[in-house]
Amino acid sequence: MSAVFESAVPALAREERIEFTATGGEYFRIWIVNLLLTIVTLGVYSAWAKVRRNQYFYASTRLAGSTFEYHGKPLAILRGRVVGVILLGAYQAALRYHPPTAGIVLLLIAGVMPWLVWKSLQFALHNSSYRGVRFGFRGSWKGAYLYYLGLPLLAGLTLGLLYPLVHQRIKRFQHAESRYGTTHFAFDAPVGQFYKVYGILVGLLVLGGGVAFGVVAGLAGGVAALNGGTADIAVRAGQVLIVFAGVLGWYAFTLCVVWAFMAILQNLIWNHTQLGPHRFRSTMTWPRLAGLYITNTLAIVCTLGLFIPFAQVRALKYRLESTTLVVAGSLDDVVAAKGGDVNAVGESVADLAGFDLAL
Amino acid sequence: MQGDAQREVPGRYYDGITSRAHRVVLRVENGEACLAGEAERRVPLAQVRVSERTAHAPRKLTFADEACFEPDQRAALEALLHATGHRDSAVVRMQQSWRAVVIALGTLLLVLAVGYLYVLPAGAKLAARLLPVSVERQLGQGLLGVLDRRVFDASKLPAARRAALAQAFARMAPPRDGAPPYQLVFRHSRIGPNAFALPSGDIVLTDQLVELLRDDHAILATLAHELGHLHERHLTRRLIQGSVVAAAGTVLFGDASALVAGLPALALDLRYSREAEQEADDYAAAMLRRNGIGLVHLERLFTALQELEDELGAPPPYLSSHPPSAERLARLRQQLD
Ligand SMILES: [Zn+2]
Repeated sequence: MSAVFESAVPALAREERIEFTATGGEYFRIWIVNLLLTIVTLGVYSAWAKVRRNQYFYASTRLAGSTFEYHGKPLAILRGRVVGVILLGAYQAALRYHPPTAGIVLLLIAGVMPWLVWKSLQFALHNSSYRGVRFGFRGSWKGAYLYYLGLPLLAGLTLGLLYPLVHQRIKRFQHAESRYGTTHFAFDAPVGQFYKVYGILVGLLVLGGGVAFGVVAGLAGGVAALNGGTADIAVRAGQVLIVFAGVLGWYAFTLCVVWAFMAILQNLIWNHTQLGPHRFRSTMTWPRLAGLYITNTLAIVCTLGLFIPFAQVRALKYRLESTTLVVAGSLDDVVAAKGGDVNAVGESVADLAGFDLAL
Repeated sequence: MQGDAQREVPGRYYDGITSRAHRVVLRVENGEACLAGEAERRVPLAQVRVSERTAHAPRKLTFADEACFEPDQRAALEALLHATGHRDSAVVRMQQSWRAVVIALGTLLLVLAVGYLYVLPAGAKLAARLLPVSVERQLGQGLLGVLDRRVFDASKLPAARRAALAQAFARMAPPRDGAPPYQLVFRHSRIGPNAFALPSGDIVLTDQLVELLRDDHAILATLAHELGHLHERHLTRRLIQGSVVAAAGTVLFGDASALVAGLPALALDLRYSREAEQEADDYAAAMLRRNGIGLVHLERLFTALQELEDELGAPPPYLSSHPPSAERLARLRQQLD
């Protein structure tokens, strides 16, 4: 019935919610086996572990009745990990045994990092497919150097004032240069919105900090005043308690602000992302995100880490399921980037046969 | 193979060229996967990749040209795969069985315990021994500079007293050959009596400790303990073990929680440093014995530290990097018997 309806009224937008069917119990089993084999093989299996995990998560992600597929090859991932370990190892060794060299190694790492990030973006997208059509990344390595090295340096020079702009540019680079088959993603979140969100974050932190400091100072002073200005042990203990409660309250407040910030930012980014004519909609709310993180952290601590796979599935489920694709028309007409289009992207696709750097 | 013909799996076929879904029915005939419906296709089974089995995600068939088939219902495809004799890999079968996973968890804990208790200390010891002394020296350089800026002033002891102590210690033979070169460093401390060895070969002794002990042989016992740390390369071993534990923690817990990853590493480090202290105590005892100095002077060191602890209120033993002096005393007395 619905198929008939769809073809009869093609212009009507309909909403397709992303569904995530993975369960903590099943991922726990995959996780344990992955861990055991990774430890026993001194880390070599971690590349295979990543493929198994991604294949499970991709296959569990369902949009409009179809699931995603992960094509990454373990050897390519292993290669990326070896490069990462060598870079970090060289840096650590230099830092320990000859600090001046560490600076040079750090510069070297900073120099190749944008290129590695660029390769990883290509790898991640190229190895994802939906309905038999692969994703891709067409952004250039020059763009990667601009957005992952040039602009962040500039933001550092301006003491972070440019940071919201850099964040917006990086997201624009990632999203607008991605494609599904030959259909391109688009990203139109204005810089002003990023500044607004960051402004709210900083404002809340400053305001919260001021209020917390004022309340603590007032209460601590009040306790002393009640006692006639004497500073005996009971008063001092009371003051310590107030300061302790203040620090704890401040910590909780900061966490809530950060979670709210993450939710708002995620919504901002996805609400301004488009795939061809189809829009995304993100409806994350910070109380739910905060509840999720608080319960996850408590459960991980109480189970000495055994809850980690459950926590990851819960977090991923919330993230994915708060995203909707507003389909304009039909999802049927995306063409794979094969044949004629290969020349445009083929050069990079060929030598990206695989390289994945996940640090 | 005859039963296969009757098994039909309805599903969607994506041709790898567009995202369009084709309604098809999958059958297996003569060792070929056959699709019929909105798309027709026959492919030898050997060229079809089957995604791994999971409990909730659908299984997919992928062809060499990236075309793929998604069944409407997983059960039907599962039955067809079973009929064609498709077998999951050992790892996949392990992942699907709770029993295998419990065994895997047990094995994992066993491997970690054995690795931590036996392999890691032995490996770190070996690695520290293989590390050239020059490299080790560079490791500790700069540390003294930092300490001088933060906690130390120049020593207020008379130069003659310092020279006498240094000469007396230089005359002592180490309990076994191969003791590394060291230099004695006298400092006035802003944080009370202390003595420690840096990987650079500096043995730092504070004026306050010299005044506290008042017995030159007890001071020599202290220096012997610190030389033991250098000779056994404790700090380097500790650094190596710390890096390995941190790396393993990252693998085990990921970035799920810095707290969860940090706590075991801290606990492991504390346990290790207690063992290192015992080794250094034994080294000091052996050095005193070899040079004809009574162990009673080592005992005096511990007693002095014990009194200091009683005065200040000792930290709980399990949180302290040094074992409580009472415990060290008891251990020493056992050796004396
Ligand atoms: Zn010691």
